[in-house]
Amino acid sequence: MDSTTALAADAQLIRAIQGGDERALSQLYRLHWPMVSHFVLQNSGTEDDARDVYQEGVMVFYEKVREGSLELSCQIKTYLYAVCRRLWLKRLTTKSRLHGVRLLDDDDYGPYLNTGAEDDLHEAEERDRRFATMSEALTHLGEPCRSLLEGFYLLDKSMQDLTAEHGYTNADTAKTQKYKCLTRLKKLFFASYKEA
Amino acid sequence: MQTEADYYALFEAYQRGELAAGARADLEARLSADPRLHQRYTEFEELTGTLRAYGERRRTRQTINALHTAMLAAEEAPADMEEKQAEGLSYSVNPRLSISRTERRLREFWSGHRATMGVAASVAVLAVFCTLLGLDLWRATTAAPASGLRELRGEVARITRRTDALTRKVNNVTGTIESVAPVRVNKYSGTGFALTADGYLVTSAHVIKGADSLLVESRDHRRYHAETVYADRKHDLAILRIKDRNFKPFTKLPYTFKAGQADLGERVYTLGYPREDVVYGEGALSARSGYDGDTAFYQVSIPLNPGNSGGPLLDGQGNLIGVVSSRQDDVLGAAFATKSSYLVRLVDSLKNKQPVQPYHLPRANQLAGAGRPQQLKRLQDFVFVVKVYE
Repeated sequence: MDSTTALAADAQLIRAIQGGDERALSQLYRLHWPMVSHFVLQNSGTEDDARDVYQEGVMVFYEKVREGSLELSCQIKTYLYAVCRRLWLKRLTTKSRLHGVRLLDDDDYGPYLNTGAEDDLHEAEERDRRFATMSEALTHLGEPCRSLLEGFYLLDKSMQDLTAEHGYTNADTAKTQKYKCLTRLKKLFFASYKEA
Repeated sequence: MQTEADYYALFEAYQRGELAAGARADLEARLSADPRLHQRYTEFEELTGTLRAYGERRRTRQTINALHTAMLAAEEAPADMEEKQAEGLSYSVNPRLSISRTERRLREFWSGHRATMGVAASVAVLAVFCTLLGLDLWRATTAAPASGLRELRGEVARITRRTDALTRKVNNVTGTIESVAPVRVNKYSGTGFALTADGYLVTSAHVIKGADSLLVESRDHRRYHAETVYADRKHDLAILRIKDRNFKPFTKLPYTFKAGQADLGERVYTLGYPREDVVYGEGALSARSGYDGDTAFYQVSIPLNPGNSGGPLLDGQGNLIGVVSSRQDDVLGAAFATKSSYLVRLVDSLKNKQPVQPYHLPRANQLAGAGRPQQLKRLQDFVFVVKVYE
């Protein structure tokens, strides 16, 4: 496959994913798994490491696509390789005491430095940190606030369902409770997010 | 006074567009006018936005996990299908390698660590060989002469070369330069004696070690070329044969070879060429085993020197009982000689090998009863210098 047809295929795939086509994502996922798995295994990782790294990488890609902010200057394959390579390198350096970690690269995945992957990764890291803080804040919030908020915002349940689930007398009490919980969550979240 | 929760209710309604037009305009005006309210609103937005995004992320993660498991399942499924197809065809098309779980682990481990293992293995191998070689070298340098066993072949060449150099220097000094043709000097010399009347000789194996050519010289300076018939390193015995055409067989040999063992304390003597002239040495048989308990040798208390090797060892009756081999440097007066029984056995075994000339060992002893000087007079014609050229 020459590069123009490859790019065209990539663009089609990205459009499909952006439109929420799960089959397209599945196809993409299957397509590039062998490459990343091989790369990680070759660089003293296990199958599980490979899976983690690959899922992380696909996540970065997927979120960028969904946001519509992906600016791809190369093939998806190269982009994913660059992202996963970076992720694995980071894990390796934190895992091993050796500072100079050298990776065995597959030459056919081309130049991976000018893919814009670095910036996307920084962005993704920032987001990860935010989510981690949020998850922590939710844990500290305690019941029933946590399940209430998770139910409403994370699981997209309706207020009626939540009212019944938590045994409130009517939807308005549940709503008031929700807003109170939200104010407490705000304090917890911004306190730890700003200081970090 | 509105609480924060009340504001949140308001914000949410505003976000969803549930506010009436008047209230909406009112809130927008207040947001642009009141920076504190505005900040509260942005915080609210950020918080709910993050919560929603977090929910989205969790869903995505689940989706991707599902994708992974589906992919793994799909990888295994086609294998089954192929097998089914193969059954239908009754022979297997492109048989798929099925790998067990442990084997896959092993493969992963191998592919992950093969470089490290390779280096480790080669270092180990290298270390082993270095150690072995080092030990060997060390033993060779320190322990080889420590055996204290000195083989008694004379290193003629070294001495002669030194003498030559001296002569040349002297010649230079006196100015009478003669063009001396470079004489080929024998490197080692030892002693040998006749085994049969028709040209077989015996000497020590170490004397002829590494020999290019051998020259045998009798007391009356007649020289014969000789060749090695057999060398037995283990018992330090060698049998030579004179190959000159003009060689006339000896007269009858005056001594016989003793097939049995000699007794302890027997008076023994030898003739040899540690220097140009034949030298007589006398002593007693002091032990019936040699160096390090080697039963193939006798220990004798005869003072012996390099060049004596290969000389005959005779008892008082003129029976040949041994072949001089070596001496022990760190023990006083301990020399070793190969027992004649081994020589006799060697000759017997060689007889079966269709020799060029048959071996006729002497049967009659003409030395018995004679005085020592008479014995020596008859004996010395059968003792030779063996010169070794390399």
